[in-house]
Amino acid sequence: MKKQRNKSSRLSSYLRKSLTLLALISCLSVSANSFNNPQAWLQKLSQATSELNFNVSFVVLKPNADVEPYVWRHAIVNGVEFEHLNLLNGPGREVVRVGPNISYFEPYTPPYTLQSSSINGPVPYQLIKNYESLLGSYNFVLVGRSRVSGRAAQQIRMVSHDKNRYAYNLWLDQASGLILRLDTLDLNGQVVEQLQVTSLEITEQPDAYFARIESSELPRVAALNNRTDSALSWQINWLPSGMKVIKKDVRRLSANDGTVEYMMLSDGMVDISVYLQQLPNGLSQQTALKHQANTLVTMQRDSLAVTVIGKLPAKTAGAIASSIGIIPQ
Amino acid sequence: MTQSKIEKLSSLVDGESIDEQLIDELSTDSELSQKWQTYHLTRDIMRKDVPDVINFDISEQVAKAIAEEPAIVAPKPRRWESLPLIGNVVPLIQQSGQFAIAASVAVAVIIGVQQYNQPLPDEPYVTTNARGDFGTLGVASGVSLEQTRPIQGQRSDAQEQRRRINALLRDHQNQMRLKPQAVKVESTKQEDDTKVVDEEATEQK
Repeated sequence: MKKQRNKSSRLSSYLRKSLTLLALISCLSVSANSFNNPQAWLQKLSQATSELNFNVSFVVLKPNADVEPYVWRHAIVNGVEFEHLNLLNGPGREVVRVGPNISYFEPYTPPYTLQSSSINGPVPYQLIKNYESLLGSYNFVLVGRSRVSGRAAQQIRMVSHDKNRYAYNLWLDQASGLILRLDTLDLNGQVVEQLQVTSLEITEQPDAYFARIESSELPRVAALNNRTDSALSWQINWLPSGMKVIKKDVRRLSANDGTVEYMMLSDGMVDISVYLQQLPNGLSQQTALKHQANTLVTMQRDSLAVTVIGKLPAKTAGAIASSIGIIPQ
Repeated sequence: MTQSKIEKLSSLVDGESIDEQLIDELSTDSELSQKWQTYHLTRDIMRKDVPDVINFDISEQVAKAIAEEPAIVAPKPRRWESLPLIGNVVPLIQQSGQFAIAASVAVAVIIGVQQYNQPLPDEPYVTTNARGDFGTLGVASGVSLEQTRPIQGQRSDAQEQRRRINALLRDHQNQMRLKPQAVKVESTKQEDDTKVVDEEATEQK
C-alpha cells in the first residue's frame, strides 16, 4: 500500500516536471513567433504609424464614385508628431496635424483647427491608434502572406463578433507594419470599399513638407463648447455588440429643416448617425438606399421619421431603426 | 515494232521528215521512246558531241526527286486585305475612336452637371453648423448626391425627399469629423441591451 502511494507520488512529480518543461517550451516558442499573433501585428501597426517618418500615397475606391487619391505623411519633428493628409483630386481637402491640433483646409470653408488625438479620415484611426478598443467588437485572424503594393504583406481578417457588420481584410507591410490595403466586405463577401496604398516610403529624416509648416500660421483652435449631451426622450434598445452611443444632441440641420434629434453610435471602426425628425405627411415613407459605402434607412415611428446612416448592412441599420423606443414622459 | 516505223524514227532523229503520228506514238510507246533515246545517243557519239558524264535518264531522276520532296504545308501568301486579323482590326480602331469621342462627351456632360449643381455658400440649403463655430462648415466635400435648387412655392415631394436625404448624408459626414474622440469604446466589456437602456434612463432623470 505504502509502496503504491510512493509510486504515485513519484509519478505526479514526474508529471509536474514535464508540465513545467512544457510550459517553458511553449513560452519560448511564443516569444520566438510573437508575430503569429494578430495583436502583435496591430501593435506593430500602431507603433509604426505614430513613430516612423513615412510618406504614403493611397487611393480609396467606393462604388459609384470616383477614385479618391490621397497623400498621407507623418513625421516626428523635435519630438512633436506631424501628420498631413491631402485629397489630391478636385478642390481637395487638406488636413494638417501638429501634435493634438488638427487644422482643416477645405473649399468654401474658412480653415479651422480642432483639438483631437487623430485625423478622422479614410484610414480608421481606432484601428491604427487604439486597436484594443476594437477587440470588443471584432475578431482578428491572421490569414497569410501575400504581395501588396510590391511589398511582402501580412493579411489579417477582421470579423465582427455578431456578424452584423461589415468585415474587413487588412494587409500590413511585413517589414514596417504600416497599412498597405484595407478592404471592407459586406455580408456576402463583396467589396464595399477599398483602400489601397500605391507607394510607401519610410525615411530617416522628416519629409521636407513639414519644414514649411509654420505652427503659428495655422488657424486658431476653435473652442468646441463641450456642452453636455442633450437628454432625448427616446432610446435605442438594440445595438450590435461593442457598439456604444457616443453623442446625443438636438439641433437644426439647415435653415429650412425642422429640428432633429441626433445620436451617434460607434464601435471604433464605423460611425453611425441616428436621426429623429418630424416630417410632413407627403414625405413619410420608408426609404433604404446606398450612397457609396453608406447605407441610409428611414422608417416611420408614430409621427416621427427615424433615419440611420452609416457603413453597415441594411439589415442591421433596419434593426437599429426599428428598435428605437420612445420613453413615456 | 515494224521496220517501217524504225526507218521513220531514224529519219525523224535526223530531221529529214516529221511524222505527227509517230511523235504521238513516241510519247506513249515506251519501247519507241527508248529507241529514240538510243538513236540520239548514237548520233551524239558519232558527232563526238558527248558530255563528260553521260547521264542516261535525267527525267526519271527528276520525277523521283519531286516525289520525295516534302509537301509544303504553309499556306500560300495572300493579299493583306484578305487576312482576317487585319480585316478585324481596322474597323475596331475606327469604332474605338468613335467610342472615345462619345465617352469624352459624356464626361463633359457629367462635369457640367456637377459644376452646375455645386452648392453655393449663399444657398438656403447649406447646412448650418450645429456648433456655430466654423461658419459654413456644412458645405463639406464628400457627399455628391444631386443638389437641387429651390423653386419657391412648388417643390415636389420627390425633390424634397432627395434634399432631405442629402442634408442627412452631409450632416453624417460632418458629425464624423466632429466626433468626440475622447470617448473610447470600451474594449473588454460586452455591451448589452439592458445596460444601454439603463444609461439612457439615468440620463433622463
